[in-house]
Amino acid sequence: MAVDRRAEEQKLIALMIAYQKGDMDAFTGLYEALKRPLIRYLWTFVRNQTMAEDLLQETFLQLHRARQTYTPPRPVRPWIYAITRHVALMHLRSMRRRKEFLPDEDLPEVPVPPEMDQLADRATVQRLLGTLPRASQEVLILHHLLGMSFEEVGQIVGITSGTAKVRAHRALKKIREQLAEGGARDEP
Amino acid sequence: MSLDSIPNGLREAIESDFQPVHPLHPAWIRTILAVAILAVVLAFVLAKASLRTDIDQLPLWLSWGCSALQLVLGVLLIGLALREAIPGEGIPGGAIRIAAVTALAVQIFVGVATSIYSPAIAMPGSGIAPGIGCFKHEIAMALPTFVVTLWLVFRALPLRAPTAGLLGGAGATVGSDAVIHLLCPMSNLSHVLVWHTGAVVLFMALGWTAGAIWERIRWRTGA
Repeated sequence: MAVDRRAEEQKLIALMIAYQKGDMDAFTGLYEALKRPLIRYLWTFVRNQTMAEDLLQETFLQLHRARQTYTPPRPVRPWIYAITRHVALMHLRSMRRRKEFLPDEDLPEVPVPPEMDQLADRATVQRLLGTLPRASQEVLILHHLLGMSFEEVGQIVGITSGTAKVRAHRALKKIREQLAEGGARDEP
Repeated sequence: MSLDSIPNGLREAIESDFQPVHPLHPAWIRTILAVAILAVVLAFVLAKASLRTDIDQLPLWLSWGCSALQLVLGVLLIGLALREAIPGEGIPGGAIRIAAVTALAVQIFVGVATSIYSPAIAMPGSGIAPGIGCFKHEIAMALPTFVVTLWLVFRALPLRAPTAGLLGGAGATVGSDAVIHLLCPMSNLSHVLVWHTGAVVLFMALGWTAGAIWERIRWRTGA
């Protein structure tokens, strides 16, 4: 698993270096490799699939304009996710300014983190995941779902790795508590 | 929208501006550039001006020691600003608050300690006029480093641009005050707090504002 992740990161670094040298195929490779996890991450901000897909395009435009700020051979994913996060936050800020609201949707096509998958049926966990504050949900998704280390999560979100760990732990605990409460209510 | 391939609009936008780029140098190398400007300005001023009249009354740790401390702190703050300008390398919020508070605390500490060790020395005409003089010198010395630091910050992609600007402003002025501390003959606390620390606060505010303006323009136009 760790070897896979290292190999995946090495592949992203190679693509990013080629992209900086002007290789369009490398950009396509990055897009292919990252589009789905980035959609999942963007969803935690906008909770709307169509908007997340629109923001994915905006994210790749911003990545393109800032491609010189990636310094090889640093890990690519914290760099990309930090920009993605900023695109989402800027969008939310602009929506708030314009007083626009999008209807929340159920999380589409997004697998549930394995730790939570064992807790209850998928639909319940997805619903509970959606009730968490965005900051907690973001850390959970980055770590448990997208496989980032807490150090990487900290670099993306702008917090220490310890704070990221505490947020993820508290979020999981809250889901467990909600499940326990729900279970107790369901019992005859 | 299908996720299976790059959407046409995105592909066209990328292809219209597709050329090789050189990666930015790491933050520590870019810090050296900003610090080189600071070093040249400070060395020039130190060579031209005479040291404060009460320098012999101050213990070594308070004169040259505190000056060195301010210089190191200034360099660190500039380094933090330039690191903050790279996506994914941002500094945790707590560390930023500590850095900003430390910059002000060191200024206040130097002012208080100097007034304790050299209470009797006060230049004739102490008040607003010499204060404005110090303030102008501080601004003139910090400005080149401040401008270069902000230029380096905004050439990258600071995701918290006001924060990066604030750190850059603090670094440029705290670094400049390292030499002003050795030159300014006024040791009364009110002078140091109002005019010297005031300059630090002013540049922090200017950096923050410049960052906020840059952020608004950058993310509105996508320039």
